[in-house]
Amino acid sequence: MLARLRDVVGERYAFADPYEMRLYQYDASPETALPEIVVIPGTSEEVARVVKICTDASVPVTARSGASSLAGGTVPVEGGVVITFARMDRILEIDTENLRAVVQPGVVNLALSQALKPLGYYYAPDPSSQGACTIGGNVATNAGGPHTLIYGVTVNHVTGLEVALPSGELVQVGGRKSAEAIGYDLTGLLVGSEGTMALVTRIWVKIQPLPPVQKTLMAVYPDVATASNAVSAIVRTGILPAAIEMMDKLSIQAIEAASHAGYPLDAGAVLLLEVDGIPEVAQELGERMAKVCRDNGASEVRIARDEQERQALWKGRKGAFSAMGRLSSDFYVMDGVVPRTKLPETLAKIDAISERTGFKICNVFHAGDGNLHPLVLFDAFQPGQYEAVLAIGDEILKLCAQAGGSVTGEHGIGLEKRENIRYVFSDDDLEVMDRVRRVFDPHILMNPGKIFPGNGLQPSAVRYPPGYSRRQAVAGGEDLWV
Amino acid sequence: MGVRAGATVLPGHQITVDEQRRLSVDDLLPSKIMHPGDAEDAGRGLRLCDLTPAAVVVWGGGTQMRLGAPPRRYDIAFSTERMTRLLEYEPADLTCRVEAGMRLSDLQAALGAQGQRLPLDPPHPERATVGGMVAANTNGLGRARYGTVRDWVIGIAVAYPSGKVARAGGKVVKNVAGYDLMKLHIGALGTLGVVAEVNLKVQAIPESEATLLGHFETATPAVAAGLLLARSYLAPAAATVLDRRALWECGLTADWRWTLALKLEGYAREVDAARDQAVGAIRDAGGRVEGADLPATFWDAVRDWSAPDGDVVLLRAIAPIAAIPTLSGAIPSEASVIIQPAAGVVDLRVAPSSAAPTLQRVRSLAGDEGQVVVASAPAAVKSSLDVWGPPPPGFPIMRALKQALDPNGILNPGRFVGGI
Ligand SMILES: Cc1cc2nc3c(=O)[nH]c(=O)nc-3n(C[C@H](O)[C@H](O)[C@H](O)COP(=O)(O)OP(=O)(O)OC[C@H]3O[C@@H](n4cnc5c(N)ncnc54)[C@H](O)[C@@H]3O)c2cc1C
Ligand SMILES: Cc1cc2nc3c(=O)[nH]c(=O)nc-3n(C[C@H](O)[C@H](O)[C@H](O)COP(=O)(O)OP(=O)(O)OC[C@H]3O[C@@H](n4cnc5c(N)ncnc54)[C@H](O)[C@@H]3O)c2cc1C
Repeated sequence: MLARLRDVVGERYAFADPYEMRLYQYDASPETALPEIVVIPGTSEEVARVVKICTDASVPVTARSGASSLAGGTVPVEGGVVITFARMDRILEIDTENLRAVVQPGVVNLALSQALKPLGYYYAPDPSSQGACTIGGNVATNAGGPHTLIYGVTVNHVTGLEVALPSGELVQVGGRKSAEAIGYDLTGLLVGSEGTMALVTRIWVKIQPLPPVQKTLMAVYPDVATASNAVSAIVRTGILPAAIEMMDKLSIQAIEAASHAGYPLDAGAVLLLEVDGIPEVAQELGERMAKVCRDNGASEVRIARDEQERQALWKGRKGAFSAMGRLSSDFYVMDGVVPRTKLPETLAKIDAISERTGFKICNVFHAGDGNLHPLVLFDAFQPGQYEAVLAIGDEILKLCAQAGGSVTGEHGIGLEKRENIRYVFSDDDLEVMDRVRRVFDPHILMNPGKIFPGNGLQPSAVRYPPGYSRRQAVAGGEDLWV
Repeated sequence: MGVRAGATVLPGHQITVDEQRRLSVDDLLPSKIMHPGDAEDAGRGLRLCDLTPAAVVVWGGGTQMRLGAPPRRYDIAFSTERMTRLLEYEPADLTCRVEAGMRLSDLQAALGAQGQRLPLDPPHPERATVGGMVAANTNGLGRARYGTVRDWVIGIAVAYPSGKVARAGGKVVKNVAGYDLMKLHIGALGTLGVVAEVNLKVQAIPESEATLLGHFETATPAVAAGLLLARSYLAPAAATVLDRRALWECGLTADWRWTLALKLEGYAREVDAARDQAVGAIRDAGGRVEGADLPATFWDAVRDWSAPDGDVVLLRAIAPIAAIPTLSGAIPSEASVIIQPAAGVVDLRVAPSSAAPTLQRVRSLAGDEGQVVVASAPAAVKSSLDVWGPPPPGFPIMRALKQALDPNGILNPGRFVGGI
């Protein structure tokens, strides 16, 4: 097997050394599992040939790009071959005429926007991990970000894909220049399929002009309930900001200890809002937004006067993730969604869970679209704590589902949530999804053990490694934020 | 396939001759009708059809029934006319859940009462249904700015021939749980299941709106000005280029051969700035600006123009932007045309007699990356045209998806791409 793979990609780019396998056993989630072989193809054709060799031999294939998955998406729970896209990291074309770019899957999200910036354009989906995650991974998880509130998530910006099918065929699907294409929208179906149907080898994305001006506001609230009600009030005014982010008291304390962003320590919650537009409109919207915040219980509203002040306000938010280290050695990041109007009651229930269990839970999240990221603080060295934290996670996801929401807004189901998916889908729903998957992958060799409940290994077989700190696993550390 | 037993009793209700005629598709008549009351009812009905098996054509508002190849068989008209409820609507969440048979105009009225709207404007909203809009992927003039159906549908409930009703997506605006099966049904023309319920995002109605016309002697500068504006930060809500005949068909007259019609939307100051920018772009391209009062119905007429009745054939080309000047140069003189430059869409109305040669020419000019579809044609003309053109890449997967979800091929048989 290894020899045949080396025939395709060359000696250097297929290996099975046990020590090296350990580098590919984890991503940014707590779960781990060892691959048997790692392959690093250099071209789409090589990917297709590697996939064919694997499926002919009934060997599972798991794709890995930036490995920033928080859901265990890249963890090869059934062993087999891990294909990483590290060498396929080129921007192939930037076409400002058609507002399109063509990229390989291994292109880092931020690198694309940086390349576009001198031309006056950018790629809108901006996951908080954008310095580490790739467009390929974003496509597989349908990633979101703070600014996807107004501009839409990955699928809204992808018009076509080239994919390697389990059969070893390389096909190009979707309208390359237009979002409307004849036939079923396979592009839309494949985005968010978490590598369980096909491997993405090339991506056609929309690009858009940079906004002339961005205005950022900080609004200070006595508690999260008042802040969440303000979010609903803002949405209701008809002004949809480009981003609405919320931080609760515990997060503010962590952030201030780490970076002195200037958030008031006695605040119960802070909202960060951003509007963009031509200068006079951004100014006007900023003022209108400030008024809505004040009318809805904000004790203080600060509008950034210049770019420096704006950056300072964002710095606290962006540093929130690493700042948590001030509070706890380990933390578990959740990802759930509720309708915006259900934010106050959901946050109150999460608070009650924290009271009852004694685990501290911080909330730093994309409030504008109801996408919660509760962070449960714990100590992995204490026996039983990790299991307790997983149970809390489960309870929170159940809450989100009951509120009419979802068990994941952007991180994906992956390995982590394949049982929780039952909170939002019936057996009938899952049966149709399974049928669709099998059209692509009849023998379940593409990223097996993900998304669907009950197949693959038992949850108990997945162990949190002692002494593991999530922060160590994440490339780039300081710059990353949830 | 074997001979269908004549003795088999078809499920469904008896149908009057008038109804038969109203529900004909490409001159084929249904034998019976079903009009389920809700999603589960639709599932039960479909199951009966599947057991027979009886060929089903789904009916929403019927505004898109001239799209697609003629059905291979047609036994049951499966109508969503009783599924018209607005099931949930929470303005502060900017989301709603509706039954597939709800008319677009009824939905827009309910949203409008709260100062909100769905920024999709398919033709004939007073007849078109939400399910039909999804199934036919009909996108109005705002597609370049506001996106298409796939950008606004956040959840779906679909009745399958197995009788089961399965959901995908959900009610929240951000959600990556499970596969995005919404995408599969958008534009599938009801060949994979009957869309029973749709969950949608909505938006606030913009504060301000304005219309501006720019007149040109040739198409190229009009298209170029439209593109320039569409690529700017203050992109118009609609930028369409109409030839003189199309403009006349939409109720206006002009001395110039080509007109760039711009709809500007946004905050008041944004619209002011966008107007200045548009005036500049039109003048720079050598055009003449007209800001005079237009009849309120102008944009409705442009919207409905692409869904003609009667003897007209509508061809739709979707092509790379670079191919658009060539395409607009190849239009026969008796045709009328509306171009949406930023979306790469060129709609042509041609007489039945010249449909075939025009289709052939436009297909060759649209190039490898272009697609040309017969979007509407009388049955007699359609039978002599290749409605969809060559099957797209990935077609074997599409056929396999059809086989997986509708194994007996009862749903809209033959109407979709490649005979699906
Ligand atoms: C600090 C931090 C902050 C984060 N913030 C956000 C956020 O704001 N929004 C958000 O959406 N996510 C966020 N994430 C999660 C993560 O960054 C995203 O899920 C991201 O899209 C993963 O990209 P990646 O390149 O790292 O993919 P990987 O982790 O390598 O892979 C993710 C999944 O995609 C599959 N995959 C990868 N490449 C391919 C391919 N070429 N073809 C097919 N399948 C493939 C993998 O098998 C896996 O299932 C965050 C993560 C961290 C650590
Ligand atoms: C030739 C032509 C071109 C058009 N082009 C455009 C355009 O470019 N842009 C635009 O915005 N609008 C266009 N339209 C308008 C569009 O047809 C309608 O406005 C509307 O979107 C269709 O809704 P309906 O309820 O009338 O659907 P119908 O015409 O009743 O149905 C459309 C298709 O969907 C199926 N269907 C209907 N309901 C369901 C359901 N619940 N589940 C599954 N399948 C279902 C039907 O079987 C049929 O195949 C066009 C119309 C025509 C006739």
